[in-house]
Amino acid sequence: MPRGIALWAIGLAAALVLPLVLSTFFIVLLIEIAVVALFATAFNLLMGFGGMVSFGHAAYFALGAYAAALLAQKAGWPMLAALAAAPFVAALGALVFGFFIVRLTHTYFAMLSLAFGQIVYTVIFKWTGLTGGDNGLLNIWPPALLRSQTAYYYFTLLVIGTSFLGLHAIVTSPFGYALRAIRENPRRARFIGVNVRRHQLYAFVLSGFFSGIAGGVFAFHNGSVFPDFAFFTKSFEPLVVVLLGGVQSFYGPLAGAFGFKMLEWLISKWAPIYWPLFLGAIVIAVIVLLPQGFVGLLGRRAWRPRPSIAK
Amino acid sequence: MELITSLFPWITNGPLIAVQVMSGLSVGMFLFLISVGMSLIFGVTRIVNLAHGSFYMVSAYFMVTLIEVMPERALSFWIALLLAPVGVAILGGVIEVTLLRRIYRRDPMMQLILTFGLILVIGTLVLLVWGPDNKSVPRPDALAGSVRIFGQPFPSYYLLVLGLSPLVAVGLWLVFYRTRWGMLVRAATVDREMLGALGVNVSRLYTQVFVFGSWLAGLGGALAAPTVAVALGMDADVLINAFVVVVIGGLGSFAGSLISALLVGELQSFGILIFPAVSIVLLFAIMAVVLIVRPWGLLGRPEE
Repeated sequence: MPRGIALWAIGLAAALVLPLVLSTFFIVLLIEIAVVALFATAFNLLMGFGGMVSFGHAAYFALGAYAAALLAQKAGWPMLAALAAAPFVAALGALVFGFFIVRLTHTYFAMLSLAFGQIVYTVIFKWTGLTGGDNGLLNIWPPALLRSQTAYYYFTLLVIGTSFLGLHAIVTSPFGYALRAIRENPRRARFIGVNVRRHQLYAFVLSGFFSGIAGGVFAFHNGSVFPDFAFFTKSFEPLVVVLLGGVQSFYGPLAGAFGFKMLEWLISKWAPIYWPLFLGAIVIAVIVLLPQGFVGLLGRRAWRPRPSIAK
Repeated sequence: MELITSLFPWITNGPLIAVQVMSGLSVGMFLFLISVGMSLIFGVTRIVNLAHGSFYMVSAYFMVTLIEVMPERALSFWIALLLAPVGVAILGGVIEVTLLRRIYRRDPMMQLILTFGLILVIGTLVLLVWGPDNKSVPRPDALAGSVRIFGQPFPSYYLLVLGLSPLVAVGLWLVFYRTRWGMLVRAATVDREMLGALGVNVSRLYTQVFVFGSWLAGLGGALAAPTVAVALGMDADVLINAFVVVVIGGLGSFAGSLISALLVGELQSFGILIFPAVSIVLLFAIMAVVLIVRPWGLLGRPEE
């Protein structure tokens, strides 16, 4: 696929060169786009490829962020070690909660994931001794080498780029195809010998793992973590990004994250108070008017089943 | 026994327990009003309306404004109590006709996400109209004080809630089980397509049910307004509680909502005494257990 490789090369070159010409403000924006893109892509592993919509995914983002922050601040771990541990804490949370959640389907799946998400939020909010409660944890900065925004940008690019490669490998592996089979028809998948529940649990844990990476990278970028990271409105973020970018295409969330953050920036600039209004209105408009998302509007139909198969 | 009394010193305090039971009952009745509407809407339209808490919040804000603009001090509360839920019912009707009607045939997840979007839109509109400061709704003069129950003070406004809610519950039962409309609603929860095939205008029934459910949320919000700080964020709080109630009781079940609302009300009331820090976690843990053992709730029906 020379065209794909060319696109990748252009994208990578742009990502490497851009910080040299952009102001600090836009570098920060790019870091945040990368974080949201990874969070949404991890979320889309469930929603787009597994057909499972979690309403509590902020929990795993927050687990990653808090694990990184607590290990760095309270346990005195070096940043890289704390960051490396973050996804494993998030994955552990996803394993424990996911064990129960994947037993349910559709609406009930979404509801139980929301309930567990709220438990995580409540624990973080109430456990003031450990997490600082509502005040959060402050002063979580990377070492001096990565302190400048440009340096942290390249670090983010490395970590999140690697994560994207990992997610892409998962999606194109036999496991990824089994997941799609389960999405299309769980019963038929079971007949051909796929252990449906176990595959769903693995997907859930992997999704939590990568959400944890996004959370950890964001913690050191933000310099602080707050209980809001786990609140259910935060779980809405990857959902919107995926809807904007188009469900069921691997790069959809990446495009969605750009659109999402640009919109947030534009709207927040002249009227931050209107941001949630726009967010909600966009979602409603996309659902009512553009069932395929914006990328779907462009005609990209990667990994979408043909209509004859879908119904 | 000594261990128990040392752990829970209130356990021998009969009057305190009695008051705690009564306040649990009032909380439960608020939850019932809200969750029964949510459950009803789900039963008929198969949409879990996440904006239900927003309707409750809007109704409380309507109370604030209505009481402010009305000159007649003695009656204003009661008139507002009648008007605010009607306003919310109209809002619900508009949303059903303009948005939800377009997506009944779509993926249930998309419906869920759309109502999630409504939370953000309604929340921001409330912020723009009423501002970020907390508001309060005065209790009507006759119910402003407190009465003594077994020597313990108990706010007399809650007596109104305790008195009114059983009336609403009986009224709902009469509507569902003794009218033709209620029969259609119950039929729709069992088999919508068959109902349509039998010549019932299902689309109109959906709108009516949504309006009625919104009115119930509005009634809950209007009644609750004098007992809480009317503030942004009450939508999420009440949604989560109503959600727990509906899930434990079973989506689409009238009796399930009642039983589970009272259960959750008491649990919150006593949970604060037993596990002050984690009462909400306890609530979610119970919900999680119910979802795992009986995903369709205590009195609900399995998903087909």
